[in-house]
Parts: sequence; C-alpha cells; structure tokens
Amino acid sequence: MAESDDLGQIIAGCKDGEPESFSKLIDIYSGRLYGYFYRLTSSKETSDDLLSELFVKLVEKIGRYRGGSFDGWLFKIASNIFHDYLRDKQRQKRLLDGRKEQLESEHGRRQEDDRADRLQMALWKLDEDTRELIMLRFYSQASFKEIAAMRSEPIGTTLSKVHRGLKKLRELME
Amino acid sequence: MAANEKDENLRELFEKLFGADEAEEATEDIRKGEQILDEHGAPGPDSELIADVKAEISRALAERKSNAFRRAVYKVAAVAAAVIIATAISVKLSERGNGEAETVIGASIIPAAIWESEDIAVDDAELGTFVGEIEELEDDVLALELGENGGNGYEAIEELEVELEEIERVFWKG
Repeated sequence: MAESDDLGQIIAGCKDGEPESFSKLIDIYSGRLYGYFYRLTSSKETSDDLLSELFVKLVEKIGRYRGGSFDGWLFKIASNIFHDYLRDKQRQKRLLDGRKEQLESEHGRRQEDDRADRLQMALWKLDEDTRELIMLRFYSQASFKEIAAMRSEPIGTTLSKVHRGLKKLRELME
Repeated sequence: MAANEKDENLRELFEKLFGADEAEEATEDIRKGEQILDEHGAPGPDSELIADVKAEISRALAERKSNAFRRAVYKVAAVAAAVIIATAISVKLSERGNGEAETVIGASIIPAAIWESEDIAVDDAELGTFVGEIEELEDDVLALELGENGGNGYEAIEELEVELEEIERVFWKG
C-alpha cells in the first residue's frame, strides 16, 4: 500500500511538472519498458529510441491519467508507440521477416548457447499478436482482466492466447 | 524481474473456460512459461540513455513552463490593452458630454463638394441640368402669359405637361 501511495505522489509530482518526479518514474519503469520494447524489436537501438519517445510523450500525456492501474495505462502507451513505430516506418513485414531470418541464420551458424538469445529466437517463432500479448502480460504485470480491457477483447480470448503461447514457448525452450 | 504477482485467481478464471482438471493444468502452464521469461531477463537500458532521457524531459518541462509563462504574459497584455482602449474611449465621450460643440456630419451619399459649394447648380452637373430645364419651363410659362406662342395655348400647355412628366420620370429614375 505504501508503494502505491509513493507512486501516487510521484505521479502527482509529474502532473505538476516536477523533473525529480519524472526522474523517479523513469527509474521505476525504464527497465520493464525497455525489456518490453527489446523483446518485441530485438534491437537495442530501436528500444533506446522507443523508450526515449515514450518518456517524452509522457510529459504531455501524464495530465490525462485519471487513476486506475498506472502500469496498465503506461504500457498501453508503450503498446501504441510500438504499433506506431511499425506502421509509420512501414517496416512490419520487413522487420519480422528480417529479424527472424537473421536470428535463425545466426542460430544455425554459431549454435549460440546464450540462453537470452534462445528465448528471443523462441519468441520470434510465436505469432506476432501472441508474442506481444505475452510481453505485455509479463512486463506490465497487469492482470488478465486489465489486459483484456486494454486490448478490447473478451478475457477468455486473452487467457487462451497467453496460455497457448506460453505452452508453446516452454516446448520451444526445452 | 519478478513473475506476475497480480492479485488474480488464475485457476478460477480458467475454470470458467475449461473444467477443473484442465484449469489446474493451464494455470501450471502459465506459471512455468512466465518462470522461463523470469529466468531470461532482457538487457536493460544503458545508464547513458537514462541520463539522456532525464535531461530531455527536464528540457521539455522547462520549455513548457516558459511557454505557459509567455501565454500568461500575452493574456495579461491583451486584457491590459483592452482596458486602456475602453478607458480612452470613455474619457473621450465624457469630454464631449461636457459642452463641446458637436460637429455636423453629412450623409456620406451626398458628395462633400455639394455641402461645401457656393453655387450647387454649377458644381453638380445633374442638378445643373434640372435647373436649366426649370428655367426653360419658366420661360415657356412666361411666353404663354405674354401670348408669344401665336395663340396656340392648348398645345403649349400639353407640351409643358409632357415636359414636366419627363422631368419627373428622369428625376426619380436618377
């Protein structure tokens, strides 16, 4: 409870335009948001850009936060930024195919035994929507109810997709 | 990264979708899948990136504050200008009310030359024409009175009436 009170104070400070409050918010969320972007793009450079973009946008958007799950609200913005990135650059197909081929060829060539990369490759074998859903669930730490509301879909659909996706991911990692 | 700790009874949620046994299995699939994600952390953002983002946000906040101040100054200046103009007008009006001679203002459809003219008939061409016509009629009437038209009084009167009608028609037609 004390943690959510602290977060409430930080958010209030951000709404008042206090740089220190934004600094605290960045410290709290940058790791999770960066992980979310990195797992979806497989690129540190792109993740750097998207994270910067998100926090700069937050300066404008924080005034519109009207309570409820802040994590859910923040990750909804992150999800929109990721989709804008794909749409605006018209890279979606190229990015997905390109990264998949690149990762598979690297895997075949070097038989890399890096567990983090193994996870990244396994993730890229899932369909795009499931991958994003799993990342949203994991990094936002939002409940299934919140995620279903965020995606405007029935909770049963969200549950089924995450369940199937995580089951497949486990099989791929074994 | 901690696994999802949202206060949500997954088993209960799955029981609504599947039977009790399947719900148990699905809950376990989710738990194990998220455990894999938990064990394979994504890279975090560089400290340089975080410093850059914080600096950029500080700049954006300073800019917003400066813009807000500028907007406030413009607003105050606009209100002050309106007050000055209103005051100046009211002072002027009150001065007039204190016995100053009123200026006669002529209608704008009448040329200023006519108002200022010593001899209107000379200065205004159309009026001059009408004056000429009237003078001719006066001559004709005088001739009739003096019997100078050879005794043909009826014709002369008819001619006069026609001329008067013509003058009236032209006058109103403009």
